[in-house]
Amino acid sequence: MKKTLALVLVLMMAMTSVAFAEDISLRVWVGDNNDEEWINGVIENFKAAYPDNNYTIEVGIVSEGDCSKNVLSDPEAAADVFTFADDQFNSLYNAGALQEVVIDPETIIEANADGAVAAATGTDGNLYAYPATADNGYFMFYSKEYFTEEDVQSLDKMLEVAAAAGKKVGFPLSNGWYIYSFFKGAGLDMHINEDGVTNTCNWNATDTEITGVQVVEALLAIAQNPGFINADSDPFVAGVKDGSIIAGVSGTWNANVAQEAWGDNYAAVKLPTFTVGDKQVQMSSFAGYKLVGVNPHSEFVGDAMDFAAFMTNEESQLSRFELRSQGPANKAAAASEAVQAAPAIAALASQAAYATVQRVADPYWTPAATLGEIIANNNPDGTDLQTMLDNTVAGITAAALQ
Amino acid sequence: MSMMQQTKARGRSSGLTRAFSSVGEFFAGTAEAFRKGDIWTRLSALVCGAGFMARGQIVKGILKTLVEALVIYLIPSFIVPNLSKFGTLGTVVAQKSFDPVTRKNVWNDYDNSFLILLFSVMSLVLIIVAVVLWMKNMRAAYQVQRTQERGKHVNSFRDDLDDLLGKRFHITLLSLPTLGVVLLIIIPLIVMILIAFTNYDHDHLPPNALFTWVGLKNFRNLFNMSPESSFGYSFAKVLSWTLVWAVMATFTCFILGILMAMFINNRNTMGKRFWRTCFMVTMAVPQFVSLLLVRNFFANQGIVNTLCKNIGLTDWLFNIGAIPTANYIPFLTNPAWARPMILLINIWVGIPYQMLIATGILMNIPADLTEAARIDGANAWQSFWHITMPYIMFVMGPSLVNSVVGNINNFNVIYLLSHDVYVTQNQLMANANASEVDLLITWLFGLTQDRQNYKMASVIGILVFVVCAIITLVAFNRMIKGDKEESFQ
Repeated sequence: MKKTLALVLVLMMAMTSVAFAEDISLRVWVGDNNDEEWINGVIENFKAAYPDNNYTIEVGIVSEGDCSKNVLSDPEAAADVFTFADDQFNSLYNAGALQEVVIDPETIIEANADGAVAAATGTDGNLYAYPATADNGYFMFYSKEYFTEEDVQSLDKMLEVAAAAGKKVGFPLSNGWYIYSFFKGAGLDMHINEDGVTNTCNWNATDTEITGVQVVEALLAIAQNPGFINADSDPFVAGVKDGSIIAGVSGTWNANVAQEAWGDNYAAVKLPTFTVGDKQVQMSSFAGYKLVGVNPHSEFVGDAMDFAAFMTNEESQLSRFELRSQGPANKAAAASEAVQAAPAIAALASQAAYATVQRVADPYWTPAATLGEIIANNNPDGTDLQTMLDNTVAGITAAALQ
Repeated sequence: MSMMQQTKARGRSSGLTRAFSSVGEFFAGTAEAFRKGDIWTRLSALVCGAGFMARGQIVKGILKTLVEALVIYLIPSFIVPNLSKFGTLGTVVAQKSFDPVTRKNVWNDYDNSFLILLFSVMSLVLIIVAVVLWMKNMRAAYQVQRTQERGKHVNSFRDDLDDLLGKRFHITLLSLPTLGVVLLIIIPLIVMILIAFTNYDHDHLPPNALFTWVGLKNFRNLFNMSPESSFGYSFAKVLSWTLVWAVMATFTCFILGILMAMFINNRNTMGKRFWRTCFMVTMAVPQFVSLLLVRNFFANQGIVNTLCKNIGLTDWLFNIGAIPTANYIPFLTNPAWARPMILLINIWVGIPYQMLIATGILMNIPADLTEAARIDGANAWQSFWHITMPYIMFVMGPSLVNSVVGNINNFNVIYLLSHDVYVTQNQLMANANASEVDLLITWLFGLTQDRQNYKMASVIGILVFVVCAIITLVAFNRMIKGDKEESFQ
């Protein structure tokens, strides 16, 4: 009896000491239920690559668009590794919720596209996140049934074609993320200040080559065109499915919808030019990346960095493309044939020349969306356009969060 | 002032006096215990169990001393460290460095402003509770001394336990809920209120940054009217819509619910049960499901719009200038359309519930009343206006006030119908992250959830409470005082 008891005790001690030695548990947040197959594969490979450690890796689903909210509501309780869209880099960085990449940042900088690295770099010039995809920007989808490759070079032509066919070209005008493309394209500026919480914006400028008022006038004309419809993601999807929308600005997340609806006629291209005054201007855009961040409060911050690096390496980005059709930020992965052949990703690549990394402070979004909504409704109160832009700029540049 | 109100006023002031005098008595009792107590009773001031152990109540004495020891232990380990930082809410900013050998972050011993605030409030509550308990303990020790002096039976521990199940059963029953109320309601409430006086927001998020006291600055912000930060402007707009919404939403549902109930209860209605079941079914579907569905129906590219477009209604409305674009009717995206639409949808969701309640009340109206009225020659309208309505108002008055307050905080309907769909066209409101259809509560939610602006959310929360409190007080005092019972007949 005594012997068995002693044996049990010894066994228990042995077990606890073994379990204690290399037990590393990490929590990972990915953006979508559909990511699970991919991330589970990555976890398997990671465990195989680091056989010495005993990893327990738990996967949680937190939308990449809402990640910062979830992290910032309690940074100490957030996951060790989380995926987020690069528009949240700034708020996470300012709140100190991102661990600086201190393990081998050169490799990551070397391997990924310059824009993606810039999107993951803090104002102090150091790398604070791991680029995961480079497909989070927007571009033009169209159906070849209606448009030729020449038509889609100019928005005016596209609207003309759509109007003639009794169909629509969709654009999310009441959304700050998209309306930026017109102002930036016209050479007006909006970017975050060094303090990380306020913006600089000259959309109301009167002394630039193209004035803000001219852009708004152009937008009002576009919004009133019978071939135009103000359509955010949901209405865009609905319109593509029911055939009323034959072209529109959106991102890779809607590529499957467009492909299914249009079949062989499905095509994607960089954003077109539009008319301001008597000039043709190329639309700009926000380049969009998905980044992976590491929580500095993580108990195993070193292993969390290892995992983040692993889940964004060439192999993982390629498998992400294969399983989720998400365009890689990794240069080698992006150069692969399969990636090159995807129309949406090729469109993004050609738009990249006109895209800027998104560095925007919070006060931008609501005033910009409201400006778009007013334009989409054809300025119902008849507000003087300069006053309208002055109000918008006042909101965008307001001291953060009064 | 009527006779009755005078009596009331007197009653109220005497109640207040009673409260004060009982507090006075409490202090006096403690002092008396000091003056008249013997050495053991007085020793209880230092060692709480002394008085009880001296009279043979060993277990009770030990328990009381243990509680005292716990409090004394908490003073240096919890109360002092937190309360000493209460004035600044912390000064040590979090800093870390990565140790390449252990591969872990080394953090300094940083302050977390939020935890300091929370723990300080807990400490204060703890101190108050401890002082009260200590005073009670003195009185109890003296009481035991007196009991023994008079030669009466001193309770053993078993007697005490029996008491807790017997004549002091209320204490057994209520101690857990009371603890819950203090921990889960009172302490968080105090913390939330205090946040309104700090700069707890996106730029001061613990644990990586500190926040501190800013006095009344956030309240002054509410009256800031500049376009850069139009909180004052937006607050006035949002508040007025909140009140309009609360009154409209309550009364439309109320009146229409009663009418529906009366139609269904009418003698000439066929298939009463069928109709009633129909309405019950809409209640069985969770509200958020039906609201999200309805939102999709009325979306700019939704079913209803497709229908309107196909039958030519959209074009006709566009031609008469009622809508700004010929593509869709902005049911939920334009202030002139969205507000009435939300009220209508709320009626659709709210009627069944009101109807059900009204049905119950209608069935209870004494038949002799209506019968007598009919014999006296009253028509249907007169008997509705003079018998049914007063009866319903008498029963439902208090719940009506509740509904108004509930609708002020009716988060579901507004949020589910407008979130991600409605973009304001009012630039000043946009600059404060508000919109025309926002209630105070949804505005508050957006500020905390999207912008981490906890300080302003707390200020708005306090003001929501003030508004609700005023409405409730005025309504209960003016409309439905208890003395209406006689006046009803």
